[in-house]
Amino acid sequence: MSRAAVPSGRTSAKGRRAGWTPWFYVAPALLVLGGLLVYPVCQLGLMSVLEYTQAQVSGGEPTRFRGLANYTELFADDQFRQVLLATVGFAAACVVSTLAVGCALAVLLTRVRALPRLALMLAALGAWATPTITGSTVWLFLFDPDFGPVDRLLGLGDFSWTYGRYSAFLLVLLEVVWCSFPFVMVTVYAGIRAVPGEVLEAAALDGASQWRIWRSVLAPMLRPILVVVTVQSVIWDFKVFTQIYVMTGGGGIAGQNLVLNVYAYQKAFASSQYSLGSAIGVVMLLILLAVTLGYLRLLRRQGEEL
Amino acid sequence: MNLSVRLAAFTALAAALVTACAPRTAGTSSAGTDEKSGTLRVWLFQEVDNRPKQHVVDAVLAGFEKAHEDTEVSVEYIPVETRAQRIKAAFNDPKSAPDVIEYGNTDTAGYVRDGGLLDVTREFDAWGETKDTDPTARRSVTVDGRVYGAPYFVGVRALYYRTDIFRELGLSVPRSQAELISTARRIRAEKPGLYGLAVGGAYTYGALPFIWAHGGDLATGEEGSYASALDRPAARKGIEAYTSLFGDDNCPAATCAGMTGNDTVTAFASGKAAMAIGGDFSHAAVEAGKVRGKYAVVPLPGVEPGSIAPAFAGGNNIGVLKNTAHRTLAVDLMKRLASKRTQRDLFDAMGFLPTFTDVRRQAAATEPFVKPFVRTLAAGTEFVPASPAWARIDSSLVLPTMFQEIVSGRKDVAAASEDAARKMDDAFGSAG
Amino acid sequence: MSLVRRPVPRRPPRLPWRPAAEATALLVAAVVAFPLYWMLLSAVKPAGEIESTEPRPWTSSPSLDSFRRVFQQHDFGRYFVNSLVVAVSVVIASALIAFLAATAVTRFRFRFRTTLLIMFLVAQMVPVEALTIPLFFLMRDLGQLNTLGSLILPHLAFSLPFAIWMLRGFVRAVPESLEEAAYLDGASRARFLWRILLPLVLPGLVATSVFSFISAWNDFLFARSFIISDTSQSTLPMALLVFYKPDEPDWGGVMAASTVMTVPVLVFFVLVQRRLVSGLGGAVKD
Repeated sequence: MSRAAVPSGRTSAKGRRAGWTPWFYVAPALLVLGGLLVYPVCQLGLMSVLEYTQAQVSGGEPTRFRGLANYTELFADDQFRQVLLATVGFAAACVVSTLAVGCALAVLLTRVRALPRLALMLAALGAWATPTITGSTVWLFLFDPDFGPVDRLLGLGDFSWTYGRYSAFLLVLLEVVWCSFPFVMVTVYAGIRAVPGEVLEAAALDGASQWRIWRSVLAPMLRPILVVVTVQSVIWDFKVFTQIYVMTGGGGIAGQNLVLNVYAYQKAFASSQYSLGSAIGVVMLLILLAVTLGYLRLLRRQGEEL
Repeated sequence: MNLSVRLAAFTALAAALVTACAPRTAGTSSAGTDEKSGTLRVWLFQEVDNRPKQHVVDAVLAGFEKAHEDTEVSVEYIPVETRAQRIKAAFNDPKSAPDVIEYGNTDTAGYVRDGGLLDVTREFDAWGETKDTDPTARRSVTVDGRVYGAPYFVGVRALYYRTDIFRELGLSVPRSQAELISTARRIRAEKPGLYGLAVGGAYTYGALPFIWAHGGDLATGEEGSYASALDRPAARKGIEAYTSLFGDDNCPAATCAGMTGNDTVTAFASGKAAMAIGGDFSHAAVEAGKVRGKYAVVPLPGVEPGSIAPAFAGGNNIGVLKNTAHRTLAVDLMKRLASKRTQRDLFDAMGFLPTFTDVRRQAAATEPFVKPFVRTLAAGTEFVPASPAWARIDSSLVLPTMFQEIVSGRKDVAAASEDAARKMDDAFGSAG
Repeated sequence: MSLVRRPVPRRPPRLPWRPAAEATALLVAAVVAFPLYWMLLSAVKPAGEIESTEPRPWTSSPSLDSFRRVFQQHDFGRYFVNSLVVAVSVVIASALIAFLAATAVTRFRFRFRTTLLIMFLVAQMVPVEALTIPLFFLMRDLGQLNTLGSLILPHLAFSLPFAIWMLRGFVRAVPESLEEAAYLDGASRARFLWRILLPLVLPGLVATSVFSFISAWNDFLFARSFIISDTSQSTLPMALLVFYKPDEPDWGGVMAASTVMTVPVLVFFVLVQRRLVSGLGGAVKD
């Protein structure tokens, strides 16, 4: 690859005069991250092993150490297990759909002339630029049983999308894909354009089909990009909050559309069970940590240098 | 690149940082002072049409500022839906906290347990007007025998119905719950565009009278040892009756399962429902809607023909925050905001039912619309368990979840009420 | 190495594909743009037409009533400025800090360099919502509650890791020979940093800032949790929710407010569009 990493053995500006300068450069970042990220994260971990409700927060009762009791309580809770399952399933569906749509459209972009390309690019940028909260309200309005155009268009009468569990998840999924495929599309498109044209031409001359070109030429060359995009999507889709919160009214009928993030928020802020909310936060953190570690291993196997 | 070594270093670093974080308990230290001048902050609830309330409050404040030199009062009207978060934040950060707040009476026990409200027993007993305070209202500010505020108004719900539709279809006002349900279905059958009786899966306080009317209860026991009674046969009958109102023959589950109390009143006010369960406090909103002049109110019927279903004794109180730096001033302001005079004015402006029995009687004499509500009150009311656990049960949506599970067909009454009872017992268990 | 794009085959090899592909592209563009079109349309529809059971995809009598309502009710203008202040502060601060950090981890070799990188990567996935509680107490202790600072600081922290991770690629793409040449010419380290390196990675900074901007501009959880009693410090998403009442949403108001909230981001995106495309390609291609 053209912008391959600098071989690590070379003596260079890097090697020589390092000293304290790099630390001086990263100091502001470390300060901000240490104070506003690492510190809150360990507070979170700490709260998850304490008895910590509103009474403790306002000093009405002493804080008590509970060990892993919050976690056992959590995993004994049917609803939590259901929410965990729903979160993983929903995030997976979002990631797969986003990647599929994004990659397909990126390939499509390379196949069309400037005008349609510009149209699609602008539309995608529009979707990307839309703030999450406005995106959620707009999609809700589009699918509104009384006033929305979608039910009219599909002849569904006054079908309520948010009533059924799966239709509500589908609605949120559509919105998530709508606002997150542009990132994938633009990134992959940029990656494809960096692939030497001769390679593609040669493949095409050999009579390879579009799918085959993607499968055996593009995908392998784009692998680093695809990995980044996938990991990024996993992280984003796993953390979906605003869409579920706004579109299903805080978790849907009887909590059917809860995902971990919203569930943690409800536990902490609605029921003042800060320690349970924190424990859920820790569980999420661990899951995402596992994804990241997997990603790091993948990088290592590819011989990438960090 | 030896990644595992780096990872180990990182983990060690993270571990070191975690151990460096000390546990925290919020200190609330500003209490204790009693300044006699300065600015007092007041949070009151924002009503659907807030202006009349604001007029009454402004008059009270003018009198207060006149009586105390060098004091100023700033009032903020906060939306009811976000109150839990705002108040919680206020307990946590004395600096941005108000001195005096209006709060719902179901929140009393929770706020006291959170250490947020000031004990005003002495001042309350010394205050001459309180001899006329309705005992139910007094109970709503009392926890463990101590008083934590002054009752502000009583909220009680009754049955709103459309006189024009009843006349057109030749219906009579339902006298029992069975009649109520059959009347609702008949209206829906004759006028498919209308809900017979607007009900909501998230309308807890509209559903409770059904449970109580069937002899059921939310919980039994005393303070400190409550146990849920939702899964007992009597309560289940009530739940059955309420949830039978959801369906295409009255209020379609797809829309009604998610509705709250406000939604049902809004549906009624905009002419989309022939009946609704609304409060005295909903009167202004209904009057402002399309159905003005075309409706009447009666007490919600009980099981026996002619009886009245026990209503939920809702209402709001005015309290002083424990962290106030102006104790004397804040208590005086509380008394002025909840005095007989103010309550009378508020009744005229907003239709809020006074908490003083004599003032309420006078009010009923001048305003006929209050009568069904006063009758409902006189027939006996019920209250939610006086436990701090109730705030959690309420905010973690235990009852709405139960109703929604039943009306969406996910669980039957027995299973759903059993689950809800278990969740309630969990809450009682950890909060007492 | 600069971010020059490689030539793309101007002429796709198989022409019969093209009309179908272009038709598909236009159709997809229309579908993707439809929600935004509907938002704009509903914002200018007169009240009676929005809440009609026969929604029409056009309007014969556009009106600005909804916008007027939005700006009259509450201090919408003020919230707009607040949101802008938060987003712009986050963008500038995170760009500078991330630039320095990215330079350190790509152009120097030092102990714990990889550890730091892993830390930045891990930091990206922290679920923001879960940290609201500890952050609330932190902001209280810092005396930042009810100020815009309580929104700027956390967003700065949350956008930094991704910004560093992305900028890394851009900084690395600047050839080392350039750096050595600069030092041979007697340039100081600071001079190289600000006069030579910074302009070269500017496209990367722009691409990065898009993400910081969006995350700060979108925030409504922190705003709701940290701005307790001073409504003059509210931001746009909170104001938007005022119109979106679950029992009876004022759809015209919601759509007008949404439009007001979306347009600045849209303008920003269109302005940086070209750099974004090349920027993302550069950032992830290493």
